[in-house]
Amino acid sequence: MSAVLDARGIGMTFRNGDEPTDVLKGVDLMLEPGELAALLGASGSGKSTLLSIVGLLLRPTTGTITIAGQPIEGLSEVERALFRNRRLGFIFQFHHLLPDFTATENVAFPAAAPAGGISPAMRSRARDLLARVGLADRMDFPATRLSGGQKQRVAIARALMNNPELVLADEPTGSLDRVAAEQVLDLMRQVNREDKATFLICTHDEQVAARCTRRITLRDGRVEGASRSDGLSG
Amino acid sequence: MFAFAVARRYLLSNPAQTALLIAGVALGVTAFVFITALIQGLAIRLTDDVTANSAHVSLEPLTRVARVLPSPDADVASVALVSTFQRRQIRAWASTVALLRSQASVSAISPQISGSAFLVKGEAVAPVAVTAIDPSGLDAISPISTEIVRGDAGLGADGILIGVRLAENLGLSAGQPVLFRTDRGIDRLLTVRGIFETGLQSLDERVAYLSLQTARPLFRLPEGVTNIEVKLVDPHRAREVAAFLHEATGLRATSWQESNANLENGLAAQAQTGTLIQTFSLISVLIGISSALSLSANRHRGEIGIMRAFGVSKRFIASVFVLQGLLIGMVGAGIGCAAGFALCSWLATLTKPDGSMVLPIAPSEGGYIAVIVLTTLGAVLASVIPARSAARLDPLEAIQQ
Ligand SMILES: Nc1ncnc2c1ncn2[C@@H]1O[C@H](COP(=O)(O)OP(=O)(O)OP(=O)(O)O)[C@@H](O)[C@H]1O
Ligand SMILES: [Mg+2]
Repeated sequence: MSAVLDARGIGMTFRNGDEPTDVLKGVDLMLEPGELAALLGASGSGKSTLLSIVGLLLRPTTGTITIAGQPIEGLSEVERALFRNRRLGFIFQFHHLLPDFTATENVAFPAAAPAGGISPAMRSRARDLLARVGLADRMDFPATRLSGGQKQRVAIARALMNNPELVLADEPTGSLDRVAAEQVLDLMRQVNREDKATFLICTHDEQVAARCTRRITLRDGRVEGASRSDGLSG
Repeated sequence: MFAFAVARRYLLSNPAQTALLIAGVALGVTAFVFITALIQGLAIRLTDDVTANSAHVSLEPLTRVARVLPSPDADVASVALVSTFQRRQIRAWASTVALLRSQASVSAISPQISGSAFLVKGEAVAPVAVTAIDPSGLDAISPISTEIVRGDAGLGADGILIGVRLAENLGLSAGQPVLFRTDRGIDRLLTVRGIFETGLQSLDERVAYLSLQTARPLFRLPEGVTNIEVKLVDPHRAREVAAFLHEATGLRATSWQESNANLENGLAAQAQTGTLIQTFSLISVLIGISSALSLSANRHRGEIGIMRAFGVSKRFIASVFVLQGLLIGMVGAGIGCAAGFALCSWLATLTKPDGSMVLPIAPSEGGYIAVIVLTTLGAVLASVIPARSAARLDPLEAIQQ
């Protein structure tokens, strides 16, 4: 089976005034189906930038990206949005749930917004996902009445709603305490195993990285000697 | 529609702010309705006053008579003198009256002799504008008999009705004789039969009524009349009817609108002022909507960023805000119209001690349809700017807050 992600020679140069900053200087990154990869690196090393480029939220200065066999270069803005909607899932440090909607509605919305409404099939899938993330008893709670960890679990369920091939997570446990972070991480590992969804998780946290199947470290704008590990219990 | 659900929840998520926003829109709409109803009411009252008390179409001979008419006066010497001394008159007035009677649009006809004269009492002399009419049609054009404050309206032979100011100036009371002197130096002693008070200084001080019969010898018009005054069923058709009558009779036909050009200009100026106030009240409504939605877009930045990241289209995001504008506009316009109608209806019940309205407001003329359409359309337009800026938010920037 071909790679889920094949990024080659990704370069990113930001221009702040007259000073161009080369944040990424030719990153090569390939993810196989079912990988749970941690993206590590010092603060400011370009982790979020790389994740945004891979997530089609940012266009790189140089390089090519192929996701699930689809080359991205030729896609228009609208096609990129459609691609994000159908094939990618996102988990951010700040979940930004729609505060006036229930947990179920929040999970369903990546499917509901393009369709124009929540169909019964969407609702039942959203409920299944909520049950899997351990929120069976919170499905009809408004998002504002959930705890931080619960909100992040809703965000994970939301990222899985459209059955994405690649889930991109930027500091998903960054604003959670140890226990909640453990739960969220275990959940991602479980989904990764059960659904064979590929994860790229950007983190500072060694404990998070230790539980992933692979570590990718950014240094000086490049991937530092990528090494495989089997994780603690993977 | 999912965008509609999102728009509705956004509005309901901050009920106090939404209520305030709708109240602001409603207030602007109420102001619009009030000013519209007031200006329309004022126009209706002024027009009614004029059309109730004056002719709708006046028929007179053309000002310049091209040919010299044969004079009934045998003693005038020259043709030139004939043309100046010859009182312009409508000789065939009976046939004109017959034509007018056959018109369904005509409600009243008053053939008149109009002229000027002096009233002399002892040393005092006062100029008067004389209107001589058929006594049976005394009230045909404007109510006179109901305005009589002393004496009565019986215009027998040699009788005259004068205004209360004129009576005061000359020291006359009902039943007294007064010397009537025409502009041709013909004198006749008439009896003041009645004194009227219309409240209009120009009438009460300057106008006198005679019967046609009394006036004929005084103005040397044994047969003709100088003008025919016409009232119409629908005063607003006066221009059209005047044009027709001019064609049909060859007489000069003047509509009340032409005779009251000042009123027309005044009403137009008033309408312009109204339009200005209406425009400003709408603009303030629209600025309110636009800025409130901009704040809302800012408050929901993070979610908008997430939606964009998840591939939700810009159009969807924009429609969430346009729909909010639409909802606010429609609800605000509805409430504003209801409040405006209630306010105007209440104001219309307020009367001065003399029974007249404090404000000549016409609650039914509040421009309701116009204001609902304008506010709703305007609200949609006002939401376009915040909708566009929300749709154009960079998802990365929006999420990283
Ligand atoms: N839009 C931008 N314009 C200019 N410079 C930017 C922009 N976005 C990121 N950068 C710069 O690129 C570098 C990498 O930023 P990035 O957010 O990718 O780092 P990171 O590895 O995610 O750091 P952290 O661990 O603190 O989240 C930083 O020096 C940052 O200042
Ligand atoms: Mg980062």
